[in-house]
Amino acid sequence: MKKTHIIALVIVFLSIGVVIATLSDSSTYMDFESAKLNAGQTFTVIGELDKDGEMNYNARQNLFTFYAVDKEGNRSKVFYREPKPQDFERSEDITMKGFATDTGFVASEILLKCPSKYNEQNAMAGNE
Amino acid sequence: MEYIGEATWIGELGRGLVILAFIAAFFSALMMFLSRSKDHTLIKWGKYAFVLHAVSIFAIVGLLFYILLGHYFEYDYAWKHTSLDLEKRFVFSAFWEGQEGSFLLWMFWHSVLGLILLFTAKQWTAPVVGFLSVVQGILVTMILGVYIAGTKIGLSPFVLIRELPENAALPWTRLPDYLQQIEAFSDGTGLNPLLQNYWMTIHPPTLFLGFASVVVPFLFAMAGLMRKDHKSWLKPALPWTFFSISILGTGILMGGAWAYEALSFGGFWAWDPVENASLVPWLVLVGAGHLMLIERNRGGAAHSMYLFVILAFFFILYSTFLTRSGVLGDTSVHSFVDLGLNGQLLFLLFTFVVLPLAFYFYSFKSIPKGSGNEEFWSREFWMFVGSLLLFVSAFQIIFSTSIPVIDKLIGPDGFVPLLTKKMAPPTDEIAHYNAWQIPFAIAIGFLMAVGQFLTYRKSRLKWTWVPLARSLALAMLLTLLFAIPFELYKNALYLLLLLSGWYVVVANVDYWISVNKGKFRFSGSSLAHVGFGLLLVGSLVSNGAKKFISKSPVHLSENFPSNENLLVELNDTVQMGDYFVTFTGTEQIAHRRYYFMDYLRLNDKGEYELDFTLKPHLQINDEMGLVAEPSTRHYFHKDIFTHLTYAADMDKRGDDEGYGEEMEFLMAKGDTFIVNRHFLILDSVVAEPVFNQDQTVKKLTVEAVLRLVATSGETYTVRPQYTIEDNMDFHHEEVVEEAGIKIRFDDVKVEQNKLLIKTKTKVDDDEEFVVLKAIIFPWINILWVGCILMGLGTLIAVYNRIVHKS
Repeated sequence: MKKTHIIALVIVFLSIGVVIATLSDSSTYMDFESAKLNAGQTFTVIGELDKDGEMNYNARQNLFTFYAVDKEGNRSKVFYREPKPQDFERSEDITMKGFATDTGFVASEILLKCPSKYNEQNAMAGNE
Repeated sequence: MEYIGEATWIGELGRGLVILAFIAAFFSALMMFLSRSKDHTLIKWGKYAFVLHAVSIFAIVGLLFYILLGHYFEYDYAWKHTSLDLEKRFVFSAFWEGQEGSFLLWMFWHSVLGLILLFTAKQWTAPVVGFLSVVQGILVTMILGVYIAGTKIGLSPFVLIRELPENAALPWTRLPDYLQQIEAFSDGTGLNPLLQNYWMTIHPPTLFLGFASVVVPFLFAMAGLMRKDHKSWLKPALPWTFFSISILGTGILMGGAWAYEALSFGGFWAWDPVENASLVPWLVLVGAGHLMLIERNRGGAAHSMYLFVILAFFFILYSTFLTRSGVLGDTSVHSFVDLGLNGQLLFLLFTFVVLPLAFYFYSFKSIPKGSGNEEFWSREFWMFVGSLLLFVSAFQIIFSTSIPVIDKLIGPDGFVPLLTKKMAPPTDEIAHYNAWQIPFAIAIGFLMAVGQFLTYRKSRLKWTWVPLARSLALAMLLTLLFAIPFELYKNALYLLLLLSGWYVVVANVDYWISVNKGKFRFSGSSLAHVGFGLLLVGSLVSNGAKKFISKSPVHLSENFPSNENLLVELNDTVQMGDYFVTFTGTEQIAHRRYYFMDYLRLNDKGEYELDFTLKPHLQINDEMGLVAEPSTRHYFHKDIFTHLTYAADMDKRGDDEGYGEEMEFLMAKGDTFIVNRHFLILDSVVAEPVFNQDQTVKKLTVEAVLRLVATSGETYTVRPQYTIEDNMDFHHEEVVEEAGIKIRFDDVKVEQNKLLIKTKTKVDDDEEFVVLKAIIFPWINILWVGCILMGLGTLIAVYNRIVHKS
C-alpha cells in the first residue's frame, strides 16, 4: 500500500470521527416540558419573555428570575445566575441553555435575538 | 410630484453606476474569454472594461460615503446606520455595518486587486481578470436593487426610505414636504454602539482585504486548469497566496482584539459561528499555500493543490452565505439577519462549486500525478500531512458550525425532514471545539518544528537529529517555566500543546540561525512559524490559566457554586485576588458613563496603596439601551480585565427630572387605577380645536382632567395635555412633586374610546453599586506578539519571493 493511500484512509476515518462526534455532542432544541422529564440534563430551549410574569434581578444575590414561554406554549420560571442582560425586555426570542428542576429552568447561558432595525422602521412609518 | 429637500441625484447616479459596473464586468469577462493568447485587441478591450468597472465601484463607494457624511437621512442607509452625533471616525464602521456596504467593501478590494493584476499577471491576464470579472459581476447583483419579473435582485444602498416596499402605501410618502414635516427624518437611528470602537474601523477592511485576496490564487488555479498548464501559474500566484494568508490571519485576529477590548464575554475567541466562518478559509488556504510550495519545489501534489485552492475560495463563499443569509440567527450573536438575498447567495455558491469542478474534470487527465509513495523523511511528505491535518481541522469547525444548515436541510422543517427534533449546537461549545482542535494544534505544531529541518526529497537524518534534540530540550525547559506556576500540568493536552508551541518557536529560531545563518532573505517563513508557535503558547496560557478574581462569596445553595460576578457598593472596598478594589464614583461624558474602580494593593508597611484605576463604561444608546464596554490594565506579563455587568444607578435611571419606572393605563372616563400608593381617577376630557379659515382643524388640544388621591386623603388635580398640530403631536406633562408622580397624556385610542395615560414615579437613587466581572489573563501579550510576527513573517516571505525571482 502506498503511503498517500494510508494517509488518505486516516483522513477519511478522522473525518467520519468528526461527524459522529459532532452529532453525538450536539443537543436538540427542547421545550420546557420535555426538559422537565429529563431534569438535570442540559438542553437548549428557545422561548420568549412572558411580559405578564414577574421579572426580578436581585443584585445582591446576583440572581435574575423571569418567566418564559417556549414555542409549544409551556410557561416556566427561569433562573439565571448572571445580571439581567441588556435590553432584555425588547428581545423577540430568548435562547436558553440550561437544565430543568422542580421549581423552574436554570439557565447557564442566554442569547437574545433582538428585533432588527427593519421592524423599528416599520413601527416608525406606521406611527406617522 | 416634486419632493422638497431630497438629494435624489446621488441615488440616481449611484444606481446608474451600479448598472454600469455590472455591464462593464460582463463585457470584460466576455472579451477576456473570447481572446486567444496572441489576440491583443480583445484583451485590450477587456482591460479597458475592467478599468471602467473598477472606477465605477470606486465611485459608488465614494457616493455612499457622501450620503453618510452629508447626513442625507432620506436615504435608508444613512438613516439606519448613522446619526448627527456620530463621531466622524466611526463613519467607516457605519459604511460596513450593513450588508450593502460590506458587499461594496469586498468589491472595492477585488477591484483594487484586479487593477494590480492587470499590470502584473502578464500572459495570465486574460483568464485571471476574466474569472475575476465573473465573480465581480455576480457580486454587483447583490447591490443592484432592481425587480426582474417580480423578483427583487439585490439590495441597493441608494434606496430612499419612502421607496421601501413596506412604506409604499403610507400616506406620508405622498407629502411633498415629508422631510421637513416628519421629525424622524431630521436624524438617523445611529450606529450600533458595539461598533463604535476603533478596532471596528480597521478590523473589517483588513478582514475583507484578506477575504478578497483569497480569490487571486483561485483565479490563477482556474486559469491553469483552463489552459492545462499546471506549473507556470505557481510562480506569480505564490506571493499572492501568502499575502492573503498574512492579511486574512491578521484580520481575523484583529476581530479577536476587538472582542477582547470591546465585548463583554471576556476573551478573544469564543468559537462563535461568525468567527469560525472566517477561520476555516484561512486554515484551508494555509494548507493550499504549502501544497503550492511542494508542487513548485518538488512536484507530485498538483491534484491536492488544486482541490485545496478551490476549497479555500469555496469556504469564503460558504462563510458569506452562513453569515449573511440569516441561517445562523439562533446560534450567533452577530450575524446578519435574512434580507432576502438567499437565492442570490446560493447562486453565487453553486456557480463556484460547479465551475471549478467542471474545469478540474475537464483537465483532469493532464494534471500530473504524484508517485503516491513519497520519501518518508522528506519535507514535502510532512508538509503534505500537515496540510491534510489543517483540512480536517477546518472540516471539524465548519461541520459543527453548520448545524443550523443541517437543520434547514434535513431538520423537521427542512427540505427533506429526516430528523424529528431540531438539532442544536453542543451545549458546551467551547469544550466541543477544544476537544478536537487542541490535538490538531499539537500535531501541527510538532510538524512545524520538525518539518523545517527536513529537506526536499531525502533528508540526511544524522545531521538533523542534533538541532531537533537541542530545540526540544530548550522547549521543555520553557514549558516547565510556564506549566509550573500556572498549574498547566494538570491537563495533559494543555501540557502537550504548550510543549508543541514552544518547540515550534525554538526549532524555527534554531533553523534560521544554524541553517540559514540568520539571513533576512530566509527569515520570512521562520518568523511566521515562530509567530504561530507563540500564538499557540499565548492563547493556551492566557486562557488555560485565566483567573476570575471577582468570585462572589454568595452561594445560592450548597450545590450552586459562587459565580464570577462581584458586587461593589459606592465607596466600598472589596478584595479581588491580590487587589482591593474601591468604587470611587462615576462620570458621564456625552453618551458614555464611566465608573471609576481603584485597584489598591497592600504595601510592605501594611498600607493600602493605589496601583491603578480602571474605567469600564456604559454607552447609553436610545436604540439599543445600555451597552457595557470593559476596561483593561495591560502589563507586560498579564492583563487585568474589568467589565461592568450591572450598574444600579443606570438600571433605575429616571429622566432628566429623576422620574422613571414608567407604567401605562388605558382609561375611560370614571376609571380608577392605583399608582404609587395613590388612586388615579379620570374625571373628564376637554377638547379645544382651533380651525383654519376653511373650517378644517388646524390644531387640536385635548386635556385630561385627572384626580390623584393619596391614601391619607390629600387630593391633587392634574391636567396633562395632548396636542395635534400639522400632523405633529405635542405633550404637556404634569408633575405632582408631593406624590412623586409624573403624568403624561400619551395618546387617544379612538376605537376603544379611551385615553392612554403614562405615569412615572420618582426614582429612589440612593443605592449606588455595580456588579463587576474581573479576570486576569496571564501572558496574553505572547499571543499578540505571535499574531504580529506571523503576519509580518508572511509578508517578508512575500517580499523576498517578489524581489528574488528565482
